[in-house]
Amino acid sequence: MGADSDAGASPAVPWRKVLYERQPFPDNYVDRRFLEELRRNIRVRRYSYWAVVRETGLVSQQLSCVALFLTLWSYMEQGNVGPLTLLWTGLGCSVLGYTLYEALGGGIDRERTRCADLQSAAVFMAFTFGFSPVLKTLTESVSTDTVYAMSAGMLIAHLASFPYTQPSLPGSLSLNAALFASVCLASRLPGTLHTFAMLSCALLVFALWPCLLQRLRHTAEWTFPWAAGMVCVCGVVGVGTLWPAGALLLFLALVILTLVCPLLLVRLQRHKDNIHGPWDEAEISDDLSRFLS
Amino acid sequence: MGQRKRVNVQSPVPCPSETQPFSPHTHSSTEIPHHTHAFNTSGHHGYLQSGKHSICMVSDFFYPNMGGVESHIYQLSQCLIEKGHKVVIATHAYGERRGVRYLNNGLKVYYLPLQVMYNQSTATTCFHSLPLLRCVFVRERITVVHAHSSFSAMAHDALFHAKTMGLNTVFTDHSLFGFADLSSVLTNKLLTVSLCDTNHIVCVSYTSKENTVLRAALNPDIVSVIPNAVDPTDFTPDPSCRDSSKITIVVVSRLVYRKGIDLLGGIIPELCAKHPDLCFLIGGEGPKRLVLEEVREKYQLHDRVRLLGALDHKDVRDVLVQGHIFLNTSLTEAFCMAIVEGASCGLQVVSTRVGGIPEVLPDELVTLCEPTVSSLCVGLEKVIARQRAGKVPSPAAIHRQVQTLYTWRNVAERTEKVYDHACRQPVLPLPARLRRLRSHCGAVAGSIFSFVAVINFLFLLFLQWLFPNHLIDVAVDASGPGGRWGRGFGKEESKDPIVARCAVEDTRRLKC
Repeated sequence: MGADSDAGASPAVPWRKVLYERQPFPDNYVDRRFLEELRRNIRVRRYSYWAVVRETGLVSQQLSCVALFLTLWSYMEQGNVGPLTLLWTGLGCSVLGYTLYEALGGGIDRERTRCADLQSAAVFMAFTFGFSPVLKTLTESVSTDTVYAMSAGMLIAHLASFPYTQPSLPGSLSLNAALFASVCLASRLPGTLHTFAMLSCALLVFALWPCLLQRLRHTAEWTFPWAAGMVCVCGVVGVGTLWPAGALLLFLALVILTLVCPLLLVRLQRHKDNIHGPWDEAEISDDLSRFLS
Repeated sequence: MGQRKRVNVQSPVPCPSETQPFSPHTHSSTEIPHHTHAFNTSGHHGYLQSGKHSICMVSDFFYPNMGGVESHIYQLSQCLIEKGHKVVIATHAYGERRGVRYLNNGLKVYYLPLQVMYNQSTATTCFHSLPLLRCVFVRERITVVHAHSSFSAMAHDALFHAKTMGLNTVFTDHSLFGFADLSSVLTNKLLTVSLCDTNHIVCVSYTSKENTVLRAALNPDIVSVIPNAVDPTDFTPDPSCRDSSKITIVVVSRLVYRKGIDLLGGIIPELCAKHPDLCFLIGGEGPKRLVLEEVREKYQLHDRVRLLGALDHKDVRDVLVQGHIFLNTSLTEAFCMAIVEGASCGLQVVSTRVGGIPEVLPDELVTLCEPTVSSLCVGLEKVIARQRAGKVPSPAAIHRQVQTLYTWRNVAERTEKVYDHACRQPVLPLPARLRRLRSHCGAVAGSIFSFVAVINFLFLLFLQWLFPNHLIDVAVDASGPGGRWGRGFGKEESKDPIVARCAVEDTRRLKC
């Protein structure tokens, strides 16, 4: 039974993986069945390249949304676009989007009346309009550099914390970060109406568009790549009209995100070597909350 | 809870020094030099020639902490002393318990003043414990360092230092570990580094061996499987304690996630609804107690689910004998002592089929289920039905069957062979050790730890220059071939006046 017993003499009885029996093998005996219960990569998912590309579309379009928003802000700041133009366009887009949203969610029972929707929109607009003079002067005492740095940080935080997993609405952290950045940027615009227009635009881009996109993905899956692609193109073209080199950079970033990263993931998946066996901690698969609710 | 340790088992000799006060400065070199001359006759070579070893067990986990590792170290040490080996234990200080203490039969315990970091494990810097541990190893003329538990930083430190000092090393792994998350990747790398030049490794079950071999990338031939044991005289059945009007399911376990207490929270309402004469007796404490209390509240089961709270080890048997069925819902377990204790008390055992549990008891003594509520309920109902029909063997019969399965004497016998084997292995000299580290642990980790090993070696040389080995006093052997325990050690009325005086001085210095 010892570590050094005569392993040479092969006993007639086969080895068993039990401890309660004294077996005629040394303690350090290694049977042929050693590690036979080892399983490799049992929970590894095989990804197809195009499926991953489709999913990364969400990340790319969110990046383009941010670029688009910054372009609009830039136009406003330079005075190339008036606040009224932006407001009317925004209104048009939101009516269009709302109709589309309603049309796609036809089968779903509504919990809210349309009147309630209209009411919240009105309250929101009224408050933003009322407070826009305050928001306009909010960051007056802060230097412009600081405001820009803060907005940049917040937009990066928005991109990092956006819940990309399906299905999801804009998470509170990402939405708050985006709105904070919008308030900072909007306060640097020339007039109060500008501020109001910019904030409404931010709500449209960061709060309402992801909802519509999610519904698109949910009910009419084929439209999603088109929608994401369109946003990407708009983003690149928009940046291009102001800063061609930036547009090139954005384009490259989008290509890397949508085409190269998935390729890398699929390629590296091959090298995955995950081992499982009886030593793994068992996972509780039951839904135990039913016993307490 | 199921594996709480006992301190006064197996040895009729009372524990004389357990309660005596003692000073924190213990292994200092303030002892009178004539000890050295009086007892220096058996050096390293003396031990090897007599076929006996001078063993130092090192682990962060020891009494007064409770658990499977602590119990294992204590019982194994006692049986090794019985076989004539010298055993000392090194652990970190537990609160006021610092310095040197003697347990039964001259089992000497060094409670070293090392800083505890997390979960009773000490911090590791790879170096700071070298002076203290070197002192212990030299003073006690250690030939084999036996480290326990991969969670113990002190055990890994001791292995590292022992190899630097050229001592033979053995390591016992008591737990299972996954491979999936970042923390396990890091710990497994450290284990690889720690075990790549260790002479022999012991695991408590075959599953544990597979796990350790994979984690540390070892050659399976240097890993032995020696199960834990349970003292059958501690866990004797007593059917008269049972309430025969109902069926009692006993659970004795820490109430934590890994013990599957969430599953238990699902089983209780399910079974209580079906069997009006069923009740649960749950011993143990932990964060998951809340789950059980919530279940009890929601289903109004206060009279049928009794939560006993934390149990002392001596009370575990008295709780076990009140039940008919022992239930274990662990999600992972290297070797489950609790189910052996339950079976030893004559209970029908129902357990999850995880880790090394299927290896522990023969099929007629245990009902194994998948770790789901439904599977455990099916298993329990089968046993309940058998119990009602009276088709179960008597508790005494089960006890008779279990009592011979796992004994500490057998464990000690097998561990002794591991020591013999380890002592015949060469301890790698520094250049070979560096080569092994680099070839075995990958380029980055290997190079880093080669560097650490070199620094450790230089630090040892510095210490040897500062306090040369021959100036460190050799301690009086309490156990082992020249053991003085019970032969005037600590007693005034010894025959040999010099021995008596030295022994008394030694004990006084170490303990008072």
